[in-house]
Amino acid sequence: MQPTLNAAVSVTELGVDFGNFKAVNQVSFSVAPGEIFGFLGANGAGKTTTIRVLCGLLIPTRGTVTVAGIPYLSEESADRIKEKVGYMSQKFTLYNDLTVAENLNFTASLRKLERTYYLKRKKELFDFITFDKPESTMVKDLPGGMKQQVSLAASMLHNPEIIFLDEPTAGVTSAAREKFWSLIKSLAKNGKTIFVTSHYMDEVEQCDRIALMRSGELIALDSPKGLKESTFPHPLYELTPKRKIPYSEIEALRSPDYFDSFQAYGLRFHASPRTAQSWNEFLMRYSEDFDSQIIQPTLEDVFIRLVEGQNR
Amino acid sequence: MNHQNLPHPQGVGIAVQDLKKRLGPNQALDGVTLNFQAGLMHGLIGPEGAGKTTLLRTLLQLLKPNSGTILYEDEGKATPFTDLRPSIAYMPQQQSLYADLSIGEHLEFFKELYSIPEAEYQQKSEELLKITRLDKFIDRPAGNLSGGMYKKLGLMCSLLRSPRVLLLDEPTNGVDPISRREFWDLLYRLADQKILIIIATAYLDEAERCAQVHLIESGRTLAEGEPRELLKLEGVPNFDALFIARSKRKEGPHATHT
Amino acid sequence: MKIARIKAIAKKEIFHVVRDPFTLALALLLPVMMVTIFGLAIEFNVQNIKIAVYDGDQTQSSRKLIDTLASSGYFLIDSFPTQFAAIHQVDAESDRAALMIEPEFEHHLWSDRGARAQLVLDGADNSTVGSVVGYFTAMQDLATHKILGSPITTPVEVKTRFLFNPELNSRWFVVPGLLVVVVGILSILLTSLTVAREYENGSMELLLSTPVEPIEIILGKLAPYVGLGLSAVVFVYIIARVFFHVPFLGSHFTLILGCVLFLSTYLAQGLLISVTTRKQQVAMQIAMMSGLLPSILLSGFIFAIESMPLFFRGLTAALPARWFMVICRDTFLKGSSLYALRYSFLALLLICTVMVVIASKKFKRDVEP
Repeated sequence: MQPTLNAAVSVTELGVDFGNFKAVNQVSFSVAPGEIFGFLGANGAGKTTTIRVLCGLLIPTRGTVTVAGIPYLSEESADRIKEKVGYMSQKFTLYNDLTVAENLNFTASLRKLERTYYLKRKKELFDFITFDKPESTMVKDLPGGMKQQVSLAASMLHNPEIIFLDEPTAGVTSAAREKFWSLIKSLAKNGKTIFVTSHYMDEVEQCDRIALMRSGELIALDSPKGLKESTFPHPLYELTPKRKIPYSEIEALRSPDYFDSFQAYGLRFHASPRTAQSWNEFLMRYSEDFDSQIIQPTLEDVFIRLVEGQNR
Repeated sequence: MNHQNLPHPQGVGIAVQDLKKRLGPNQALDGVTLNFQAGLMHGLIGPEGAGKTTLLRTLLQLLKPNSGTILYEDEGKATPFTDLRPSIAYMPQQQSLYADLSIGEHLEFFKELYSIPEAEYQQKSEELLKITRLDKFIDRPAGNLSGGMYKKLGLMCSLLRSPRVLLLDEPTNGVDPISRREFWDLLYRLADQKILIIIATAYLDEAERCAQVHLIESGRTLAEGEPRELLKLEGVPNFDALFIARSKRKEGPHATHT
Repeated sequence: MKIARIKAIAKKEIFHVVRDPFTLALALLLPVMMVTIFGLAIEFNVQNIKIAVYDGDQTQSSRKLIDTLASSGYFLIDSFPTQFAAIHQVDAESDRAALMIEPEFEHHLWSDRGARAQLVLDGADNSTVGSVVGYFTAMQDLATHKILGSPITTPVEVKTRFLFNPELNSRWFVVPGLLVVVVGILSILLTSLTVAREYENGSMELLLSTPVEPIEIILGKLAPYVGLGLSAVVFVYIIARVFFHVPFLGSHFTLILGCVLFLSTYLAQGLLISVTTRKQQVAMQIAMMSGLLPSILLSGFIFAIESMPLFFRGLTAALPARWFMVICRDTFLKGSSLYALRYSFLALLLICTVMVVIASKKFKRDVEP
């Protein structure tokens, strides 16, 4: 991971301490302009802390951080970074009891945008998200997907180079999600850098690259495909019980005789055999109990496998 | 294909017929018709505002429908809701535990509310604490638990009395993937016990983990059935695509209807 | 209905009270503060009121009037300035009032016109004006007797005693009234918060989905506050008897009956507020407006009901605090029997019933908006 000069975000050996607690430790990565970068981690993994640093909200304890070409050194550089980044979270960005126009006006005045620039920009963004409702609509009356798109527009009023999205499509309709991702992709195509954090793996599936954090450290960084391949060099099987299998028997399968990993996936199981031989042994003994098929691992499988692997 | 398709209904089943419910300006339920077959794990899947929570609340008679019927069946016989109430457990979507009460105090509290005999409670609470791995945190107030632990505590409170019907409203919302898998693992154990489980969720990847899924949008049913069969039938790779295909189809007939 | 469930809810409620610093402070400190402020501060206020006296008459009679004031303990005769200086001293707020005894006071005393002395008060200082006028009126009667009726001493003495005792100890009047205020605040404020908190928290939904009956929730939630209210009663009672030496002439049974009735009314009112608003902040404000303020301002605690405008006098009839105030003061000071207080009790009972009925009707087993 060599920090490149023209990277949108470049982080080298970042460390953030809260008292004696190392919230983030020795984290290095860089994100290219126009990249959609997924950022994952369990609660307390240091994900939020890292994002705060990149948004200019928290001065790093150690390491070097460059955001949009600005080295993060002081309060003064933080202010300059804030001009270059936009932040959107479906939960907090808009005020429900204000209209769409009032919300955007408010954001513009916070950003101290010049009026003609703001109006021009607003029109551009409305066109971009194909907003076709009156601007005087109360935000609370917008459908979830529309709200999320207006939210995105609000975070982009000042034309930031890097946009942070926090669980952006949680809870919206499939159609809205599809539209949102097509918007995101067209932004990326036009050189905007997109940073996505989410607990939901299907949401980050569309990222170019994904970084995975655990206990303040970066444990994996690759494309979704690459992550899946490197984490599951052997095929991953989905096992569907043919009868109700008591939990005690399931528990027995968890022991590493046959599998590296054996996880409940609803009423089915995702299992990764230790070796081809152990898989055959399993089949011989249990083919009466389970149907099996090879599946593509989901990012959730990857995530769990990686974090568990670290725990062992 | 579906290992759980049993010849007779076992336990409680719920049939919902043309349910309508208006909440303020919103038509939260707009003629939902669903069949929750006994003994299966059902996924109630739909985006925010689809009417999932309203439906669950109506099933619990926390809300009264404007029209339509809900039929509760126990071992195939129609049963009034009030008879079933003691065997139904519910986990609301909102945080609904007491921040200032510890895990142990929550368990004690729900033990009394459900009038669980002491011996049964001892055995059950011990077992639940062990499998949720919350036993080490028994004195920790709910307000200081992580998202995943909080949800587990909520589930534990509702499982304390060995319910026959379990309604879970977005149980994995805001929970990290590890805790989410643990949660589903717990649910697998429950599926052993012939109980009707209904899980409302906005996360489509959770759909295929259920035995039956019910897709709802704008207060109406889009599709119902065994998840993989549904996908196969429609010829789509995932539930996002299924949603999009079905909601397009639904728009036509409904427009002429009104 | 299961006692165990009521107990479980009550126990949980006690946890909430004990663990929430605000509630705990309200429950423990409020009675103490109230008693201190109203019991001690008001007392301090009405003693040693500095007044300037202009004696334009300089006779035996005028001096008797001044002596009566001086020996009462309420007034501190500050100075004997000139007529203008006396007024100026009131103006400059160095004295609270000025007594102007006109020349020929004694002379007029025996005439048809009657003698006159003028009391000049700083009308801006509302709080003392009331007490000064009150004390002064009493004092004036005494003085009249002292001056006029010196030959016949017995009736004067009898009358003095009768007039004096209740006035002399204004605390005797105030402290039993504190029962109303303290119990009122604790019950209505805390209960109005308790159910609203469950709604706000989302836990009401969970509670209602369990087999627990609404009546069990109500009883379980109210029980700790009945306990809290009654312990406040005991607290104020002890303070009244031990520290302020307020006599207790009536029956304890009557007082407790009144307390329980009043407490139930306010608890039901708090519950009603809580169930209707479902928001803690709104509930608190409405509780303040509908329970707390009336129990201080319209109960006769501070302002006498007889001297209120007709409209407000009528309004007080609907306020439980007004009736409980009568019950408290009369059992303490007059020793009134249950029979003598029957109207107050009946009124309280009526309001209580109405409140309980409305509150339990409003509390439903659903979360309909």
